[in-house]
Order: sequence, then structure tokens, then C-alpha cells
Amino acid sequence: MIFPRWSLFFLIIAASAIVFAQEEYDFEVPIEEERKLEWDGNLDVKYTLFNMDRNSSQYKLQFFKDTPSSSLLSQYRLEPYLNAEYRTSDLGFILKTHGSYHSDEDARFDLFEAYATYNPSFNTALQAGKRVYSWGKGYAFNPVGFINSIKDPENPELAQAGLLSANFEYIKSFSSEALQSFSFLAVIIPSTDVIGTLFAEAKNTDIAIKTSFLLFDTDIDLLAYQSENKPKRFGFDFARNIQENIEVHGEISLNQNVERHTISNDALVSNRVDKYSYLFGLRYLDASNTTIIAEYYHNGAGLSKDEYSRYTNFIDNGANNIDLVLKQQTLGVSQTYFKGTTQMQDYLYLKVSHPEPFDWLYFTPSLFTIYNLADNGFLLSLQMSYKPVTNIDFIFWATTFVGDEITEYGSKQVQQRMELWMRVFF
Amino acid sequence: MKFLSIFIITILFAGNIAAQDANKLLKEVDDNLMPESYESIRKLINEEPDGSKKEFTFYTVKKGKDKIAMLYLAPASEKGRSTLRLGENMWLYIPSANKPIRITSLQSVVGGVFNNADIMQLDYSTEYDATYSTRTDTEYILDLKAKNKTVAYDKLKMWITKNKKILRKVEAYSASGMLIKTLEFKDDKNFGGGLTRPSVIETYSPLYKGYRSLMIYQTIKKREFPDEVFTQNYMGRLGDLRK
Repeated sequence: MIFPRWSLFFLIIAASAIVFAQEEYDFEVPIEEERKLEWDGNLDVKYTLFNMDRNSSQYKLQFFKDTPSSSLLSQYRLEPYLNAEYRTSDLGFILKTHGSYHSDEDARFDLFEAYATYNPSFNTALQAGKRVYSWGKGYAFNPVGFINSIKDPENPELAQAGLLSANFEYIKSFSSEALQSFSFLAVIIPSTDVIGTLFAEAKNTDIAIKTSFLLFDTDIDLLAYQSENKPKRFGFDFARNIQENIEVHGEISLNQNVERHTISNDALVSNRVDKYSYLFGLRYLDASNTTIIAEYYHNGAGLSKDEYSRYTNFIDNGANNIDLVLKQQTLGVSQTYFKGTTQMQDYLYLKVSHPEPFDWLYFTPSLFTIYNLADNGFLLSLQMSYKPVTNIDFIFWATTFVGDEITEYGSKQVQQRMELWMRVFF
Repeated sequence: MKFLSIFIITILFAGNIAAQDANKLLKEVDDNLMPESYESIRKLINEEPDGSKKEFTFYTVKKGKDKIAMLYLAPASEKGRSTLRLGENMWLYIPSANKPIRITSLQSVVGGVFNNADIMQLDYSTEYDATYSTRTDTEYILDLKAKNKTVAYDKLKMWITKNKKILRKVEAYSASGMLIKTLEFKDDKNFGGGLTRPSVIETYSPLYKGYRSLMIYQTIKKREFPDEVFTQNYMGRLGDLRK
């Protein structure tokens, strides 16, 4: 059979049309094999430059044994995160690990989470092992985070190590307009005050309870922590969208018999007090896609301005004393009882972020500050994230600490910090 | 006078009947797009003006009129994230933070032209009231008005085929009448279970010149879920539904 030449021409045109048509939507989603065991993770490579304040007492204490010749210090480290997850419809095993490598002599491995989960029904779940809890509605601070890992307000979304525990959760939904859902979570926390190397007193087992409601479109949690030998804590939090672009949230907690450390007559004084801590915040999205997060945080057990002044005098005396033993003791007290980035009582957190400004693709800058309302010192941080291709993230992060030398942020040993991160996900 | 009263009543009555018909048609469009409760796998592709692409794969479950949850399956940097929408309440769950955070329906969690409300779209008839605009030989054209202020777009214009009542195009407008984006529904596919519908939704916007977003459905299956799947507590466990 012989076809005319023009029919071949039309055949080519038609074939081309089909090819082009297919090319336009040639995005067939591959059928994913539903694997039960899955691995994922990321490698963070971080290079940091520190501009140190060599006149700071904290710097003199930190480096009294081996003083650097320059105020500019650097740090290069690798942080691999490796996670595994095995799940069936009702059983699961979750493993999350973290490594930190500075050199062959200085490397560590952390088990962030390792727990088994059994879900007998959609309403119930039972978990046992080491896992992370994130209680509270606040972004940078959580006064009701009774069993949370210690959060870094400078990087609240960073993964943290979990808590050795067992928990039971019950969830119930309702078709009512008022109460839409209810859940109850009980967490049993065995004592970590070990006698010898392996044993703890059974009576020191703690229990934490969270009862949650979605009531009139508002998230509400009632929380409690009961312990024989640790502070008892009670809390309440809420979150609600008051407009389509504004979310408000708050937390309040009463901490009974909480240990508080101050300096008096150049010596450490510890006592136990009952204190309230609270937080109010909002998240706002404007028409240009800029997100603003603002939070006010009151840390009831924090130091007052006078108490912080006495603490800085204590550090000054230790740093300027020629007695090396006294220097070491002062450093030990500082690192044991006054650690953390928010030692005082009242803070304002403000973060502004805007994705892809001026049509700069894959680029998100954000600016945040933590302002100490008592002494007017603050930190100011600029973070720029660039994701040129899928599964890779470059982060530039610059932070400066501002304030007089008697303020919390002005007295820090670091004046400026600049970090470069490369994060590769798999 | 009597004649005028009868005339006005007739006009109002006819208008009301027309509005009822339009809302009935809108409900048919919803029914032809998705089963009321389903699970689906779809891919979202954001194309940038320079031709580069970003791709996301989602597993989505929906129940009834206002419950929808979505789990990120890919890429690795986003895997395990999930979003939940209950009416106008919306939350984002980030595995590293390990807790749901309330977000707004206008926020975009994936970038590109689609916002959360597009990706976690409820039934049109849940959020909008319809009236007939005009009609062509092959299509009905409906004007939709948001039932309340919390809906992402104040007005929609919708093109529907006359024969199979399949959605072909939606234009989204702000309250001031500005065109925000256009969604085109293409490439009809038989998903099984009697559901044949467009498998590709292409979106572009005069506000994002040169950008294009494509949503491509791989599977849509009718499936019933208990209400507890659509709670904040379940957001970290959504992947269990696929096992």
C-alpha cells in the first residue's frame, strides 16, 4: 500500500502535536511504593565567625586558661541528622538521631527520639520510649512547656532531644458547633535521679497531663505536671484566628516550689518560690505576604534588674581576681545556675519575614529581635535563606548583641556572630 | 397597581428560582469534581519565570464539607509536614517542631501562585452562593459570591460544560473586583469508581507574571474516615492511613 507524500507530512505534524501535548503535562506522578521502613535526614554544615568582646567578664572567665590572640574566632562543624521510621497501620517505631562533629577528638552522637507506638484505634494511641513533646502555643517561648526540651528562642524550629517517658492519648471529635474535638494525654515520666548507675526511686515517677479542646474555633489546653520531688506546675493556653490574617495566642502557668538562684554578698543563694509565667502573642500576615510574629513573655522565676546587676558584679569579681580556683568556681556557678539566653523577667520577641522580595526567587529574608524590657538590651538577627534547588538550603545568619555592659545582652562574651549554613536533605 | 405588584412578585420569584438552579448546578459541579469523602495523591508544580520548577507531592484526605488534611510526601526537605483545615481553622505541623501551629488560609506554605485555600479547597457550594451570569452554546457561566469574609476570594466566575457539568475555568476576584488568579481545568481522566474529571489544574495570576502552577492528580479514591483523623493530634500520624 502506497501513501501519498502529503499524508506523511500530516502524520509528522500530528505526531509532533501529540508529543508537544504530552510534553506540556509530562508530569506523571510515579506510583510510590508504600514502604514500611523509611529513612530520611539532613546534613548541616555550619561555619561560624564570632567577634568576641575581650573586655567582657564572661569572656575573661571562659578563656582564662587559654586566651586567644585575636577577638575574631571561628567554628566549623558538621551536624548529621539521620531518621528512620517503620510504620504499619497500627504499629510504629521512630528513631531520630543527631551527630555533632568538630574534630576527631570532639564529636558526639545524640539519640533525639527512639519510641514505639501502638494505635489500637483512631481514637487512641500508646507510645513508649524517648520522644519530644512540644506543649504550648508560643513561637519563641512556652511557659506551659512543662515537659518540652529546652527551646532556643533564637531558633525555635530546631529539632531537640526528647524525654524518656510513656504516654497514652485519647481523641474524640464532635459534630457540635461549640465543642469540635477533645483530647486527653497522660505522660508517665520515670525518675532520672539515678542511685548508683542504673536505679531510681519509684516514688519519684512524675506524671504530666494535657487536656485539649477545640471550642468555638479556639484551641484550648489545660495542663498539669505532678511530681514528688520537683515543682508542681499548672497551665492554660489558647490560640484563635480572630481574622483571616491574624492569629492570637497566649499561655499562663503557675509553677509551685520552683528553684530560683540569685547572688547575694557575692555568693550563690538558692530558694524555692511559687511563680507565674505568661506569654501573649500574635501572628499577622499582611497583603504583601509579610508575616509578623510578636510575643511578650514574662518569666516569673527570672532575675530582676537588681538581681542581674548583682550577678554581673559576681562575674566581674571572679573574672578580675587573680585566684584561678576562684575563676573556675565562678565559671562553674555561671554555667550551672545561670545558663540560657533569657535569664531575666520580661522580653519582647518580634520577627518579620517576607518570602521572595523584589522577585528574588527562592530567597526568604527575616529579621528578629529579642528585647529585654528591664534593661533595654537586645539582640538583633538577620537571617537569609536561599533554596536554589529542591532539597538544598543555604542560610546566612548574622546576629548582634546590643546594650550597656551591665545589660544581659550587652554583657555577653560575643558581640557579633555570623553563620553560614548549608543544609542538604535526602 | 395590582398589575405592578404581580409583576414585581413574578420577577422576584423568578430570580429566586434562578438562584436555586445556579446553586443546584454548583453542587453538581462539586459532586463531579470530588466524592464527598476521599483520599488522593497529587503533585504540585510551581514554574518560575526562568523556567525552573519546584515540585511537591501531597497525600490528601477529606471528609464531608469542611474537613481536609494534607501530608507532604516529597521533597525530602518538606516530607512529614502536614496541614489541617476544619472550616476556616487551619494548622501547619512541622515534624522538627513537633506541634501544630495555627496559620491563616491566605498564607502560602509552598510558594508560587497557589495559596493554602487553593490547595486545601473545600466544596465551592460550601463557601459560595451562585447566580447565573451568561451562557454560551456549550457552557454555563456562574457568578459566585463568598458566603462570608473569611473565604479567600470574594467573587468567582466559573465556566461549566453544559453536557457533563464539568468545571473548565475559574476566575478569582478580590472584593474590589481585581482579578487575582485564573484556574483552568484540563485533561479529563477516569479515576475509577465512576469519577471522570479534569486531572490537571493550571493556575496563573496577573500578580505573579511569568509564574505558572500546575496541580496534577494521580489518584482520587472514595474513602470514609473517622472524624478523629481530622484533629490536630492526628497530624503527625496521617501517614498511617496509607499503610
